[in-house]
Amino acid sequence: MSYINKKEVEHIAELARIHLNEKEKEKMASELRAILGYIDKLKEVNTDNVEPIAHITGLENILRKDKINEKPLGEQAADAEKLIKTVPDSKDNFVKVKAIFDK
Amino acid sequence: MAEYHKQIAKENPKLNAYLSVFNKPKLETRNQELETNFLSGVPCAVKDNILISGEKCTAASKILKNYIAPYDATVISNLKQAGAVFLGKTNLDEFAMGATGENSAFGPTLNPHDHTRVAGGSSAGSAAAVASNLAVYALGSDTGGSIRAPASWCGAVGLKPTYGLVSRHGLIAMASSLDQIGPITKTVEDAAIVLNAIAGHDPMDSTSVNPEWDLPDYTANLNKPIAGLKVAVPKDFFSVPSGSASVATSAKEAALAKEGRGLDSQVNNLAQAAIAKLESLGAHIDQVSLPMVEYAIATYYIIVSSEISANLARYDGIRYGYSTSKAENLLETYLKSRAEGFGAEVKRRVMLGTYALSAGYYDAYYLKAQKVRSLIKRDFEKVFEKYDVIVGPTMPYIAPKLGGLSDPLSAYLADIYTAPVNLAGLPAISIPCGFIEPETSNQKLVTRLPVGFQIIGKHFDEAKILQVAHNLEQSGK
Repeated sequence: MSYINKKEVEHIAELARIHLNEKEKEKMASELRAILGYIDKLKEVNTDNVEPIAHITGLENILRKDKINEKPLGEQAADAEKLIKTVPDSKDNFVKVKAIFDK
Repeated sequence: MAEYHKQIAKENPKLNAYLSVFNKPKLETRNQELETNFLSGVPCAVKDNILISGEKCTAASKILKNYIAPYDATVISNLKQAGAVFLGKTNLDEFAMGATGENSAFGPTLNPHDHTRVAGGSSAGSAAAVASNLAVYALGSDTGGSIRAPASWCGAVGLKPTYGLVSRHGLIAMASSLDQIGPITKTVEDAAIVLNAIAGHDPMDSTSVNPEWDLPDYTANLNKPIAGLKVAVPKDFFSVPSGSASVATSAKEAALAKEGRGLDSQVNNLAQAAIAKLESLGAHIDQVSLPMVEYAIATYYIIVSSEISANLARYDGIRYGYSTSKAENLLETYLKSRAEGFGAEVKRRVMLGTYALSAGYYDAYYLKAQKVRSLIKRDFEKVFEKYDVIVGPTMPYIAPKLGGLSDPLSAYLADIYTAPVNLAGLPAISIPCGFIEPETSNQKLVTRLPVGFQIIGKHFDEAKILQVAHNLEQSGK
């Protein structure tokens, strides 16, 4: 099960949205094989009737009031400006992205 | 302040503990309580994955190289309230992924005790800065040992609080079910003082501690004697955890054991001496077993990688930091920005996590790991029914040479004593318990490398582990 080949690495890299070159694919496949080979030891553990962990200290249903942000508009605009400043490419206070479809 | 700046200017070019140094001390907040607060005016360093408004926050990644934090993390607001002064931001493994500090996109932090060795990761710069007196204290973050490992290898005190005791708001997320911010300090008392300032409920972090709880003053019990304390020593921590060659479950483990990658015998001796000291202080010592700890690293790397693959999806070349200049369309912006912006270890973990969560493998890896995590938690709970604390070495060996843990799997196995604690959500502290002189060909150049001792407590029982640590620390003086 844990034998991960180059083709599978290509598929995972596409899902993860990371471009890998040929050399990186080979290296990644062999490194992931070694790590997954170690992780396979989990199969030894009997987990029948064991619930997976949901929250480690047992918190449940942490809710807050559905209240609108009461910051003055000016402050909100200043916050937005700060966030837009962290964006690599923007125009007229909007985030700019490349074309989704090829021309 | 000026003294610290002078020291940093002198030492940092070698150590690489700080990624950025603030020229003007940040002291915007003033209130009357400041005069009585222990932290007022005290210079501290902050790991560069915790946001300080208006300052760069890189997570030691090329992808966030020029990112300016738009707001303060809650821990930073808390420290500002207490009058803290920030010296600068410290180096780390990229996005806090690593055991040595070498995965930083901006070069490794060196160990202050021996510049040919690593500082330990991922809070490498924070521990090195405190250990070399380039800060009075520092904040780190700990997902699988990232506060305790560098504290152990640099000879500092490192406290990883219970999951949720300290708000994660404004901490750049790695694995959200495990991440926790905590102090790295010179003394146990300092750790308690810093914890007092940063612990508590935060409406911005829904996993933070219940707002109705009254948190104790963590300094109050430090000097109380520990006579009658019930201490558990897990034999699993001492039985050469990576497997002695004969019982190793894989060829890899056998090879590691042969390379001496199990528990180092001198580290073992110092941990045993610390346990003997606890006994001489009146503690009752018993051997116990944590059989599921053997599966902690396998469990940890599935859970941590899965959460990483989800958390790091936000670095898309569009919303933050680095964006490739070579993209023709949107898909290429994603593929190339991430390829050019992330380092090798980050890519490896994103890939591993994506694989573990992908169709057909989810049950076998992620769900299985979450179930084993339940069993690991149960192991600890069983011991804590009868005992107050669990103790053992923090790291299986002293700080390795630079490049000595370059194989990804051996680096993962360095977390063997620390990662189980995060999986169970427990608090733990690492304190120095002695030094080792590694064998060297150069007899004139004798270096002494510190060893850390770990004390693990029940959920939200930080006061107890701090008390035990303080007693142990004072008895060594």
